[in-house]
Amino acid sequence: MARWIRADLMASTGQAIAVAVVVAGVVTALLLSAGVLQGATNPWAGLFAATRGAQIWLHLAPGTNVRRLRSEVPGIVTVTAPYPATAATLVQPGQRTRVELRAMDAAPPAIGRPLRVSGRWLDRSEVNGVVLEATFAQAVHVAVGSTVTLENLDGTGGSRVRVIGLAETADQGFYPDQTPGLIWVLPALLRAIEPDPAHTEEVVGLQIADPDATGFVVQQVVTQLGSSSVGSVSTWQQVEQSMARRDPLLGLLLALFGLVALGAAVLAIVNVTAGRVLVQQAELGMLQTLGFTPAQVMVMLTAEHAILACAGIAVGLVAARLLTPLLLGSVPGVSPASAALPGRWAVLIVGGTFVAVVLATALPAWRAARLWPVAAVRAVPPRGHLSRLAATAMAARMPPAVVLGARAAFVRRMTAALTIVGLAVPMVMITIGLGFWATLDQVREHPADIGLAASVTVSPGPLTMGQAAALIGRDPDVLAAYRCVKATALVPGETTTITTLGMGTSADPYPFRVVQGHLYRAPEQAVATQALLTAFGARVGQFVQMDFGGVPVTFRIVGRIIDAQYDGEVLAYGIDTLADEGAPAPIGFYSLVLRRGVQPGAAMSRLLRMSGGRLDVEPVSDPADQLGVVDAALAALIVVLAFIALTSLLTASRVGNRDHQRDVQVLRAMGLTPAQLRTAVVVRTTVLAVLAVTIGAVIGRAASGFLISIVSQVYGLGAGLATPASAGTTAVAIALAAVSAALAAALTTRTQDRIPATVALGP
Amino acid sequence: MITDTGRLLLRTVSLTKIFRGDGVPVPAVRGVDLSLRQGEFAAITGPSGSGKSTLLHMLGGLEPPTGGEIWLNGERVDTLSQARWAIVRRRHIGFVFQFFNLVSNMTVADNVELAALMGGATRKQARARRAELLGELGLTAKADAAPARLSGGEQQRVALARAMANRPSLLLADEPTGNLDSAASMTVLRLLGQAHADGQAILLVTHDARVASGADRVISLFDGTVVDDASIPLIHPQASLPHVLKLRG
Amino acid sequence: MPVKGLLAGRIPAQRLERAGAMRMPLLALLAKEPAHGYELKTQLEQIFGEAYPSPNIGQIYVTLQRLERDGLVRSQDVVQTTRPNKRVYELTEAGHEALVAWMDRPSEGPRVRDDFFMKLALSQLAGTAVGIGLINRQRRHYLGQMRSLSVLAAASDGRIPRLLIEGAMLHLQADLDWLQRCQEELV
Repeated sequence: MARWIRADLMASTGQAIAVAVVVAGVVTALLLSAGVLQGATNPWAGLFAATRGAQIWLHLAPGTNVRRLRSEVPGIVTVTAPYPATAATLVQPGQRTRVELRAMDAAPPAIGRPLRVSGRWLDRSEVNGVVLEATFAQAVHVAVGSTVTLENLDGTGGSRVRVIGLAETADQGFYPDQTPGLIWVLPALLRAIEPDPAHTEEVVGLQIADPDATGFVVQQVVTQLGSSSVGSVSTWQQVEQSMARRDPLLGLLLALFGLVALGAAVLAIVNVTAGRVLVQQAELGMLQTLGFTPAQVMVMLTAEHAILACAGIAVGLVAARLLTPLLLGSVPGVSPASAALPGRWAVLIVGGTFVAVVLATALPAWRAARLWPVAAVRAVPPRGHLSRLAATAMAARMPPAVVLGARAAFVRRMTAALTIVGLAVPMVMITIGLGFWATLDQVREHPADIGLAASVTVSPGPLTMGQAAALIGRDPDVLAAYRCVKATALVPGETTTITTLGMGTSADPYPFRVVQGHLYRAPEQAVATQALLTAFGARVGQFVQMDFGGVPVTFRIVGRIIDAQYDGEVLAYGIDTLADEGAPAPIGFYSLVLRRGVQPGAAMSRLLRMSGGRLDVEPVSDPADQLGVVDAALAALIVVLAFIALTSLLTASRVGNRDHQRDVQVLRAMGLTPAQLRTAVVVRTTVLAVLAVTIGAVIGRAASGFLISIVSQVYGLGAGLATPASAGTTAVAIALAAVSAALAAALTTRTQDRIPATVALGP
Repeated sequence: MITDTGRLLLRTVSLTKIFRGDGVPVPAVRGVDLSLRQGEFAAITGPSGSGKSTLLHMLGGLEPPTGGEIWLNGERVDTLSQARWAIVRRRHIGFVFQFFNLVSNMTVADNVELAALMGGATRKQARARRAELLGELGLTAKADAAPARLSGGEQQRVALARAMANRPSLLLADEPTGNLDSAASMTVLRLLGQAHADGQAILLVTHDARVASGADRVISLFDGTVVDDASIPLIHPQASLPHVLKLRG
Repeated sequence: MPVKGLLAGRIPAQRLERAGAMRMPLLALLAKEPAHGYELKTQLEQIFGEAYPSPNIGQIYVTLQRLERDGLVRSQDVVQTTRPNKRVYELTEAGHEALVAWMDRPSEGPRVRDDFFMKLALSQLAGTAVGIGLINRQRRHYLGQMRSLSVLAAASDGRIPRLLIEGAMLHLQADLDWLQRCQEELV
C-alpha cells in the first residue's frame, strides 16, 4: 500500500503539490484571520503576557515609601522599583504634544518590561537616545532615527533627543485612547530635562496574585500609602478596555470574512481533492484488478491525501506564524506582538481542515472504489448532445474550436457546477472586498463625507480667542474658521456624560454632511448621528433633552449626519444655543477648513510660526486610519481568495484535459488543426471562468452595497456611505480571471499535437 | 457520384518512417512506393509490425514521414503543416482508426453530424447524411447513445459512418472489421462496396480476406516494404468450386 | 500402412509414397543436379525431415521409373569400380517445363497445403526471392477464390448454401493466415 502511495505521489507530483499548497493556503488564511481577529480586537492579553505586565500602576509623589507595600498589603506578588517620571512636551515641526517621560535603566526590568518592536532599547552609550511607545510614535509620525525636542512643562528646559527605538507596553492603553504618550528615557536625560524633583512623580507597578481582586488591592494600597501620595492609579481592566476595539464592527467584519473564506476554502479543498480522485479513477480500477478490495483502495487514497493535508497544514502553520506579526505590524494602532497564535482557534482550524480533506477524499474515493473495475477503467464522461445551439453555430461557420470548447465545458454538469461555484464564491468575496476598499478610499479622499470637513483644530493656548481668531484670519490657506466648543452634558436618567459639540453658529454652521433633513439653522436645533439617535431612541424631528452643568436644554433634531468621533455618537448645534440657554461656556477652539489641496501639515506649521508657537495646533484625527486593519485584512484575504480560485480553475482544467486527451486523435482526423485543438481546450476553461467570475461580481456588487450599509450603521455612520467598486475595477477583475483561465488551460495542456496517432492507448 | 475515375489520386515516392525511441531507431516503413487512382479500392495486408498502420497514418497526415514524398491530387502534401493537413482532411479524407474512433462526450449521431458539418454541409444536409449512413449500418437504434455504451464493433461501424460523413475523396481505414462478427462485417463490406461503386477511393488495412477480396488491388506489406501489389485475379466460381465446395453442378 | 515419423498419428500427414506426391519433389531435386536414388532419399529427408515420414527407397525408384517413362527424366548407369553400378538420373527438357509449370501454378485441391508447402520448402534451395513470388501468387489465388465465393454468396438464396460458402471462406482465411506465417518464417 505504502509503495503505491509513494509511486502515485511521485508520478503526479504537480497535482499532489497543488493539493498540499491549497491546504497550506487555506490553513494560513484561516489562522491569519483568527490571529488578526484576536490581535485587533483584544491585543491586551498577548501583550500583557509578553511584557510580564503589572496589573496596577501607581503614579506617586516623589519619595513615597513603597517598600512595605508587599508585606503590608495581601495579594501583592511584586512591586517594581519606582521609575521617575515627568510630564513634558514633544516638540516637532508644526506640532506640540503632551508626553510622559519615564526613566528606565538600560537593563529592562523583569516586570512590566516594554516589548521592543523596532530599533533598540535604551543605551547608556547614547544618553540622548529615547524609546517611544509604538502606538504613540505612529500617531505623531515619529520613526526610529528621527530627532525631536523634548521640553519640560514650564518650557524652561529641553533637549534634542534621538529616537532609537519603539516599544510596546501593557501598562497603559493605546494612544490616543489613553494619553499622554509614553517615552522612555535614561534617568540622566530625565534629570537634564526636568531637574526639579518637585515636578517628578514616581511610577510603581504592582503585580498581584488574583487579578479579580484588583479593586480591593487598590483600595488597600491607597490607604496604606495615603491618598495624598497617590497621584493616579491605573488598573489592568482600564488598559484592557482601552485596548479593546470598542466597535463590534471589526469583529463582525472579520468574522464574516472568515466565515466566507472558510466556505470558499472548503470548496477549494473539495474541488482539488475530488478532482484528483476523478482523474485517478482509471488507476483505481486497475488497483482493484490487481486484487485490492474497494475498502483498501479507499483507505489508500484517503491516506495519500491525508499525508498531503498534513504537509499542507504544517506549511500553513509556519506561514501563519511568520505572516501574522507582519500583517498586524503594518497597521496603525495595533501592536504586532499582541498577536500570539490563538491556541484554541489554531487547534480548531487545523483539525477542521484535516477532517475536511479526509472527508473530501473519502467520499468520492468510496464511490469510485465501488465501481466495478472495468467501469472504472473505462471511465468516460457522460454523453452530451451536440445541442441545437452548437450545431447551428457550426453550420453558421463559427469557429469550430470555440463551439466545441464551449460545449465541452458543460458536458460534465456536476463538475461544471462545482467549478462555477468554486470560482464565483471567491469572486463574490473579492468584489465585496474591493467595494470596501473603494469606500475606504472615498472616505479618505473626501473626509467631509464623514464629517471631517475641517482638518485642523486650533486651541488658543495662552492667547485669547480674539487673538487666535486674528492670527487665523491672516492665514491665506484657511478657507473658513468655525468657532467651536466641546460641552459635556449629562444624560437625564443616566449617570454617564456625553460630549456634545457646538460647531459654528446657527447662522454659520459647520458644514457637516447631512444625509437626512438639514443642518441647524436656529438655536436649539441640532443634528445628530445615527448612533446617538439610537442611543436616545429618537428620530429626526423629535426632541432630546440633556443637562449642561445644571441647565437643561432641549434640542430638536433637524438632521442626521455622519460623523465618526466619540464612537459615532455626536450631537452638534450652534454655539449660540448654549449662550441662549445660559449654559456655562466651555472651552472653545477653532475648526479650520483649509483650501482645497493644502496639506494640513504645511498649514499647521505656518500657524505655529505666525503665533510664535503659542497657538495649540492639532490635526484632526482621521478615523479612516483606524480602519487600516480592515485594509490589511482585506488585502490578505483577496490574495488568498484569488489563490483559492486559481486552484479550482486548475483542477477543472485538469479534469477537462483528461477527457479531451481521449478525443484528440479523432478530432484531428476530422480535420481540426492543432491551433484549433488548443483553442478548444482554452475556451472550455475560460468560458466557465468568465461565467463564474461574472456571476460572482454581480452578486458581490449587490452584496457589497448591502454589507457596507450594515457595517456603517453599526459603526454609527449611518447609511449612505457605500461606494461599490468601480465598474472599471470589476471589469479588470473579470479580464484577469479570463486571462488566468486561458493561461491555466494552456499550461496544463501537454503538447498534444506531438503525440503520434499510432500510440494506441488500448481498447 | 462518379468523378473522373482513372486519374491518379494518391502517389507516394519512397515513403519512409523511422521511429527514434530512446534506443535503437525502428524503421517502420521503408521506401514504400504506391499509387492509388480515383475511385480505386485497395487493401493493404501484412503481419502485425509490418508498418501498415504507420503507412496509413502518414497518408492521412497524422504522422510526419521521415523521408519520401506524398502526392495527393497532384499536389505535394508531405511537407504540409499540421494546420494545412487538417484542412485537407476536413474536405478530402476520411479516417477510421483501430481504437478511439469517436468523440467520447458526444452521442453517436452527433459524431457523424459533426464530421459532416466540418466537411462543409449545411445543417439539413448534415442531418440527412447522418440518417442515411446510420441507417445503412443498422445503427439507427443506437443513434442517441454515448460511444462508451456501444460494443467495440458498433463503435467501429459508427466510426466508418463518421469517416464517410464528409464525402471524402479518399477513405483511409485501419482494420475496420477488426472487432466485428461476420454479420457486422458483411454490413461494413456492403457499405464499402456501395461507396466504391459511388466512386469513393478506399485504402484500407485489413486482416480479413473477405474484405480484402472486395478490393480491386491487394498490397502486401512485410517488414516495412511492399512485397506484392497486384489486382485480384478473376477466378470463375465454378472453377474453384469443386475443390472448395462440395456442390453439385 | 502404418505411418512413421514424429508426426505419426497427430497430423494426417500425406505420405510421399502416395501416387504422384513424390513426383514433383524429385523433379525439383534433380533440377539442381543429377543424382541417384539414395542421394535423392537423403535430400528428401533433409528437406522434409519431420514433416513427412521417411520416404521408402523402393517407392523412390518406382517414381523415378515412372518419371522416365513419362519422359521427364532420363537415367544413366555409372560404372563404379569397387561397388555395384549406380543409376544416375537427370532432368529432361520436358521435365524442366513440367517443374516450372507446377511451381508457377497456384496450389489447389484437397491437398493444397501439402502441395504448396512442398513448393515452398523446395524453393528454399533456389533462394528467398523465389519463395516470396510463390507466396504472392498463392495469396492472389486465394483472394481470387475468396472473391468468387463472395460473388457466389451474393447470388445464392437459402441459408444452407450460404453457410457452406461461409465455411469455405473461413478455411480460405485460415490458409491466408498460414501463408503469412510461412512468409514470416521461411522467408
